[in-house]
Amino acid sequence: MAQQVGSRRNLIVSLVLTIAIAFGALAATMTLGWGPKLGLDLAGGLSVVYKPATPASNADMQEVVTVLSNRVNGLGVSGATVNLQGKNVVVSVPGVTDARAVLKEVGQTAQLLFRPVLCETSVDKKTTPVANGKLPACGAQYLMTAANLAVNTSTGNPTNQIPLDPAFAGIRSTSPQNDLKKNEVLLPVLGSPGVRLVLGPAQLTGKAVHKAQVGQTPAGAWLVNYTLTKSGSPAWDKVAQANFHAEVGIELDGVVQSAPLILPNQASFTSFNGQGQISGSFTEGSAKTLANAMEFGSLPVRLIPQDSVVVSPTLGHSSLVAGLGAGLVGLLLVLLYTILYYRALGLVIVLGLATTAALLWAIISALGHTSLAPSFDLAGITGIIVSIGITVDSYIVYFERLKDEARAGRSIRTSVDRGFKSAWRTVLAADTVSLLAAVLLYLIAVGDVRGFAFFLGLSTVMDVVITWYFTRPLVILLGRRGSESTSALSMAAGLTPGVSVHE
Amino acid sequence: MSDATQTVTETKTPGRLGRIYQGRTTIDFVGRKRTWFTISIIIIVIGIASLSIRGFNLGIDFKGGTTWQVIAPHSSVVDMTKAVQAVGLHNPIVQKLGSDHYQVSADIKSLSGNQLTSLVNEVAKAMGKAAGVNSNAVSNTSVGPTWGGQITNRALEALIVFFIAVTLYISIRFEPKMALAAFIAMIHDLLVTVGVYSLFGFQITPDTVIAILTILGYSLYDTVVVFDRVRDNTGGILKSSGGDMTYGEMVNLSMNQTLARSINTSLVAILPVLAVLLVGADLLGATTLQNYGLALFVGLMSGAYSSIFIASPLLALFKEREPRFRELAERARLRSPHATLSPAAAALLSGEGAQRQMRATAATGTRATRNVAGTPSRGTIQARARKQKRR
Repeated sequence: MAQQVGSRRNLIVSLVLTIAIAFGALAATMTLGWGPKLGLDLAGGLSVVYKPATPASNADMQEVVTVLSNRVNGLGVSGATVNLQGKNVVVSVPGVTDARAVLKEVGQTAQLLFRPVLCETSVDKKTTPVANGKLPACGAQYLMTAANLAVNTSTGNPTNQIPLDPAFAGIRSTSPQNDLKKNEVLLPVLGSPGVRLVLGPAQLTGKAVHKAQVGQTPAGAWLVNYTLTKSGSPAWDKVAQANFHAEVGIELDGVVQSAPLILPNQASFTSFNGQGQISGSFTEGSAKTLANAMEFGSLPVRLIPQDSVVVSPTLGHSSLVAGLGAGLVGLLLVLLYTILYYRALGLVIVLGLATTAALLWAIISALGHTSLAPSFDLAGITGIIVSIGITVDSYIVYFERLKDEARAGRSIRTSVDRGFKSAWRTVLAADTVSLLAAVLLYLIAVGDVRGFAFFLGLSTVMDVVITWYFTRPLVILLGRRGSESTSALSMAAGLTPGVSVHE
Repeated sequence: MSDATQTVTETKTPGRLGRIYQGRTTIDFVGRKRTWFTISIIIIVIGIASLSIRGFNLGIDFKGGTTWQVIAPHSSVVDMTKAVQAVGLHNPIVQKLGSDHYQVSADIKSLSGNQLTSLVNEVAKAMGKAAGVNSNAVSNTSVGPTWGGQITNRALEALIVFFIAVTLYISIRFEPKMALAAFIAMIHDLLVTVGVYSLFGFQITPDTVIAILTILGYSLYDTVVVFDRVRDNTGGILKSSGGDMTYGEMVNLSMNQTLARSINTSLVAILPVLAVLLVGADLLGATTLQNYGLALFVGLMSGAYSSIFIASPLLALFKEREPRFRELAERARLRSPHATLSPAAAALLSGEGAQRQMRATAATGTRATRNVAGTPSRGTIQARARKQKRR
């Protein structure tokens, strides 16, 4: 039975390397000032989970993510993430103090407004804001009234080309705060850089729109077909009547999506009967964008908030203290118990846990620097606290085996080798089960569960690594040192060989 | 085989704790299985009865609603209640958590989006005012009525996949009968935990669901460690010179040998959880920690119990139905009813080399399946013939 698990040299190299890597990595992350990316339940902040109201395709959900990301980033908060978890969209903004205000902005389904177009103007780089967003009136010759446009009812095109009103060139576009329904506004136009529109107060909102879909004319030109709701239909007729043969701007989130002329091919107004068509120089993409904007605000599906959490930074901090405090107290209790029980071997556990902790912290900090891992939250802390039990158990399995071997009359030198061999199999089998649980939970479950599973799995892997590269060399080296009686390990009770073997 | 394990104690008998420490206790885990099973069945029946009568105390994550939290060292439940009612929150539930945390919950999910948002903000302002802090220091959670269900459904999906994966793993790595015993022990833990939650009216949150999943993983982990030892010890059972030990006795011996480990493992697992429960939740008022801690605590206790008292006796029960082990039991009973191996001898036996015993287990596996198919004959010619072949 040549049961040497490794040569002395290999064992020492493995031990020294493990300690060097663990504490070196810890020192490195600390010097770099990296820390774990705290979850919002610890850092404070906001998290909302939205579910699509109707079944949505993956492409739709991707678009939701893009739109929400733009919206969140537009608010000027840092560290915000928007991502998909299954069919849900999770928006989280850690570390904001006025989280409820942010939530209001993000959660709002952007409003679609129908405004009459007053006049057109250009973009000037040196623009100045106007007080309270109050705009000057358009010059009479620039007004895009039905009279000025004089639409040719046979071609459907205006006879007059109305020039840009130079009075607005130096004025900044209306800010979101002043972009209210009742105000006149100056807004950019989607897909037409260089042109801005002065629009009157909104006459209708997107609520009037029931559905909007992309279609094509027989000639292949793209257009948008829309239908109106029951109450929307007469309201839309009223707007159309008021702007007959003039343009109506469709505004979404401060951008004019489109400004179609109303009914150019007829001499007098008739009811739309709840449906209509917008044509123009659309591409398939721009038609789809407009259809989406009209039907959903800018989102391809309506979103229902499932779970919205706002954590104040003070409460987050107190949770962090509670979590770390609980973890430390638990760790100390465990260490105290193992030292009382295993004496000298207990010190091996203390050293092992210190190395594990250093390595784990370094890895969590490094992961926190990337966006690979879930952020470190209370669920994650609990996962790590639970893993203390699993980690220490590997030592216990080994030490109990050691005791068995020694009790069977083997020398400590042989016991440490043989004990490790059988313990290693047990540790591998048991950790596999634990890892299996963590991986499956991470892949399948949603919400906090994922953070928990991730950190539980991480510490389980860590346990296997440390058992092989740290505990094994350390205990075996200790076991081989010196004579039987002076061996460091025989200090541990129950390891004195020769007692009661053959009665 | 019930009274088969009165060990001949050697040298001076140490105290009970000392015996556990040295792995020489002689508790008859397998023989007294009726006792253990009865205890578990009583607990589970009470739990299920409570479940059918009282149901669960579901948290807002399952019912939908809103909760607010604030740290207010100088407030009281009465003040807080008055403050939130003043801004129009009907039927609030106000609780004090930890030493200075206040939590207000209310079912306001029927309100429309904008009304909900403004009421949430109003209440936050009122609570901030009552606590003497800015409303930004007030936390809140609003949950739609289907969210908790979604989390639970996904968790159940994970659970089923996990069950299948783990059963396969144990079947391959150990053997199907061990997988079955471990599986039943796991169901046992699930039922006990669920029963205790219903019985004591503990609130169920998605965190609880996570914690229960963990427990099942941990319960299996614990069982695997015990079974690993059983497999070690039983590897050479059929060919050992002292072949007068039945499978059940071997399980018993293994259990006694690993008792110190089982107790230690359970303690080191429960100590941190206890810290989470007492320090994290009670002193510092972190409700998430409390949710985790409680479920983990109940489940770990049940898990530690089931690995020792449910999984192992079940394993012995299943295995002793195999003809070759039944024959072994028969022979053992005829030859010497009171013999067992001393732990020391068993350790020698178990340590005879991993390779041989791996082979033995592999052979055991194929043989078992073949025998199950046929009618089990009462340990006669057929079984013996095979045994001779192996020599």
